[in-house]
Amino acid sequence: MNNKLKSFSSPTFLAYVLIAPAAIYILAIVAWPLAETIRLSFTNSGLAGEEYIGLENYEKMMGSKKFNQTVIRTFVWMFFSVTLKLVIGLIGAVLLNAKLPGRGMFRVLIMPPWVVPIAIGMLGWLWLYNGYFGIIAGVGMKTGILDGPFGFLAYKQSAFISTIVADVWVGTPMVTIFFLAAMQGVPRDLYEAAYCDGASRWHRFFKITLPQITPVIITMALLSAIWTFNSFEIIWILTEGGPRGATTTLIIDTYKMALGNYKFGKGAARAVVVMILLTIFAAFYMAILLRINKKVSNG
Amino acid sequence: MDKYNLFEKILLYLGILIFMTFILLPFVEMFYASLRPLDHLFRSPYQFFSDDLSFWAYGEMWNTVPMLGRYIFNSFFLATSVTVITILFVIPAAYSYARFNFTGKNSSLYLLLAINMFSGAVLLIPLYKLLRTLGLLNSYQAMIVPGVAFLIPTSIWLLKSYFEKIPIDLEEAAFVDGASRIQILRHIITPLSTPGLVVVSLYIFIGAYAQQFLFAITFNSKKEYMPIPAGLYEFIGYQTIKWNEMMAASLVGIAPVLIIFIFLQKYLVEGLTAGAVKN
Amino acid sequence: MILKHFIRVISVLFISLFSANAFAATDVHGVMCGGEIREADMTVINKYMADNPDVNITMEAVPWGTCQDKVINLAIAGDPVSFSYIGSRTLKGLAENGHIVPVNIPESMTSMYQPGILDTVTHLGQQWGFPHAFSTKALFMNCDILDEAGLACEGPQSWDELYSMAETIKNKTGIAGIGLAGKDFDNTMHQFLNYLYSNGGQVIDPNTNEITLNSPNTVETLEFYAKLANVSQEGPLAWERSQLTELFNDKKIAMYINGPWGAGQHGDINQKTVRIPAGPNGSQGTLLITDSVAVFNGTGHEDIAMDIVANLTSGDAQYDLDTSWGLTPIMQYPQIGKVAPYNTDYWMMFIDAIADGGPEPLLVDYKAFQTVMNSMIQGAILGEGDAADLVAEAAEELEEYK
Repeated sequence: MNNKLKSFSSPTFLAYVLIAPAAIYILAIVAWPLAETIRLSFTNSGLAGEEYIGLENYEKMMGSKKFNQTVIRTFVWMFFSVTLKLVIGLIGAVLLNAKLPGRGMFRVLIMPPWVVPIAIGMLGWLWLYNGYFGIIAGVGMKTGILDGPFGFLAYKQSAFISTIVADVWVGTPMVTIFFLAAMQGVPRDLYEAAYCDGASRWHRFFKITLPQITPVIITMALLSAIWTFNSFEIIWILTEGGPRGATTTLIIDTYKMALGNYKFGKGAARAVVVMILLTIFAAFYMAILLRINKKVSNG
Repeated sequence: MDKYNLFEKILLYLGILIFMTFILLPFVEMFYASLRPLDHLFRSPYQFFSDDLSFWAYGEMWNTVPMLGRYIFNSFFLATSVTVITILFVIPAAYSYARFNFTGKNSSLYLLLAINMFSGAVLLIPLYKLLRTLGLLNSYQAMIVPGVAFLIPTSIWLLKSYFEKIPIDLEEAAFVDGASRIQILRHIITPLSTPGLVVVSLYIFIGAYAQQFLFAITFNSKKEYMPIPAGLYEFIGYQTIKWNEMMAASLVGIAPVLIIFIFLQKYLVEGLTAGAVKN
Repeated sequence: MILKHFIRVISVLFISLFSANAFAATDVHGVMCGGEIREADMTVINKYMADNPDVNITMEAVPWGTCQDKVINLAIAGDPVSFSYIGSRTLKGLAENGHIVPVNIPESMTSMYQPGILDTVTHLGQQWGFPHAFSTKALFMNCDILDEAGLACEGPQSWDELYSMAETIKNKTGIAGIGLAGKDFDNTMHQFLNYLYSNGGQVIDPNTNEITLNSPNTVETLEFYAKLANVSQEGPLAWERSQLTELFNDKKIAMYINGPWGAGQHGDINQKTVRIPAGPNGSQGTLLITDSVAVFNGTGHEDIAMDIVANLTSGDAQYDLDTSWGLTPIMQYPQIGKVAPYNTDYWMMFIDAIADGGPEPLLVDYKAFQTVMNSMIQGAILGEGDAADLVAEAAEELEEYK
């Protein structure tokens, strides 16, 4: 009996076999383009064809002061957006988990931002933010909060915040639904036992729900950070990186300076730098998250 | 335990109202834009009612873009194909990562993530060359094959976290009783992780829906195969954009997906069967 | 087990879907931008195929917004189309990198073009595309608003007059006097260039390839453009020209600069169109923008493609495009006996301006050029620097992109 149990969780040939199909598929389709991109980063590939220029792309990038500012700006933007997504997502999941009449309908109603093509959703926000025509400015003027039209995207700080809000809007439904599914998977007897012991709702939430869904929170935190880092269309449609670079994150900069003008060498170098930065960041991030995970499952 | 007092109920509904307003506000703008005539789309300050509102755009859009119905079908077909294929690759892999330890486990997991750290736009030209070599251009495959490849990595991560939540005792019990691991995967894990499965399938579906545009534009030239986002571009003229019709088309385009989710959301069932863990 | 089966089946399916190629004598692949190929174009294509039975032409319509990028990507990937509609601003970059071939425009066509048209497609003394669509700009005014402010509905004759009119409108009616574009978008730079060319300024000298942006004319223009923010709609940096049309339609701005398609977009506004006013150091100018049809390099049948394109961009086919799209006529149509519909006062505003207008500047890296110019303009409107400094900085950055 014991032998069988032991062999259940020991590494087996089976583990590799189960992963093989996915791994082979990815290698077949993605491996070559990825390798090609890394190779391109050492060239000046563009409209003119290409020749190898070694680390020149990287040197030019790292040396520019603007680039360093862009990196910092990207991390700040990302930090606020991801935090808001996780927090609002968690609150939303709690709200939708509650046994209230109409919750089926609410769960469907939060889907649209996730389902609609991002470009279209951003058109909606573009109009919302419009100083003359948008609902926000309209309501602001009617209630007297605003003296007159106010273009949310016309000024540096307000544009920065506005793009974050739009990005949170896009990302929150997915986070909410994933958290909701996780909450649905928590065994009911755990709650019943605590209820019988007289635990309050807050107590049940913090001591049972949160620890139980922690693996999902960790995964969403990591993935959300990576997606937000590469969040392109949202900023592009709202401001194209303006005004005067106030909302230019790394991915916007990559597109403007490189991909938009067909400078593939430069674009590839930037993509590689983004990947390296993200990897370093993800490593730190995961270390912190795993430490929290340990605390939660022990505490 | 499930009864809320009045105060709690009010608080909850208020929270939901605020949340819903945030989520649906841009759609209000989009909906109104679809109801107004093209030469007076916008008003300042904002007006909720005006006398020239009509559903004209919803009819006209089928004339402006005659293949719109086909595009909606294509989007649906492509996303479904990608979802089915991806899920088949992902379930075994996610299970393996969730349950087993083996050399290369962690590094391969992060390698998967690394793939997502490259945004699609950078890889476009090399991908084009690859697909051309494989002879897959200008077909449904042109959009399905890369779509699956880019959705597998994150789907593995997501599904893995749901598999990790299932107590291992259940599987061990079955294993001791003589079930093979594949049987365990099919008969125990899959049903118990239904909420997770549903949600990851939905994620893949929507992800496929979203990334269609880039692949469709670059790898496909045949109008018959184009999905909705490419079709929406046809509302953009040389100097005018038919915003009202475009918004109408977008709203109509996402309806099928929402309908699917209405059916799916009852599969977000609650909890594991009570008492299943008693040995 | 099942999985292995599945993989096998899928790979067989993939392999069996390799398409077989049927070879014709010459396969020409042409791209036009838009939802579908226009009838006038198909007439030309069909006639050509009837006259030349060993040439097989496939036309593809690619939607606006993705059209240009797609054909350029194809050229870079080594799969160029035979010819394509493309913005003239891309010609220099494509030419310098060998993706397109210089075109031989027959004398019968060159003699018919409006003055200055060929400048928009000329680089190093050669033409690189057949001009196909053309626009100039003029100033649109809402006479009702001007009336309300006690002003006569007449075009301003100088920049000072333009400013004082806008100011009066703002003070007397509360409505913004003029629409100002400041968003980081291509037409912001275009709006600015209208003023620059009305003030004797220039960005780049086409003959010497020198950047001539840094001049007192430019500084003066930039200062004026930024000054207009005082009498324009709020937050110019969030607005580009097509959004200004919405404002104009909602009667929230009294004037703005737009192209000839504007009249059709304005619904029932009591509008009047006048020339763009002259600056202190120039005459009433305008911006000449063209799109052309370029012939790509490496297809093996460049000369056939050129022949086809010449037919598509001249005579009746060209006239049909100009009239159906509501564009400034690219050719002097009276020469072939077509006078209407361009003999109205409205059209005169756009046609008379041609002779005083300047071409859209041709730089190799036109997107970076746009970013630099818009950054300069935004800096002036935000007040983040002295106009002279901003212009000097921009001129220096442009050196890298010319």
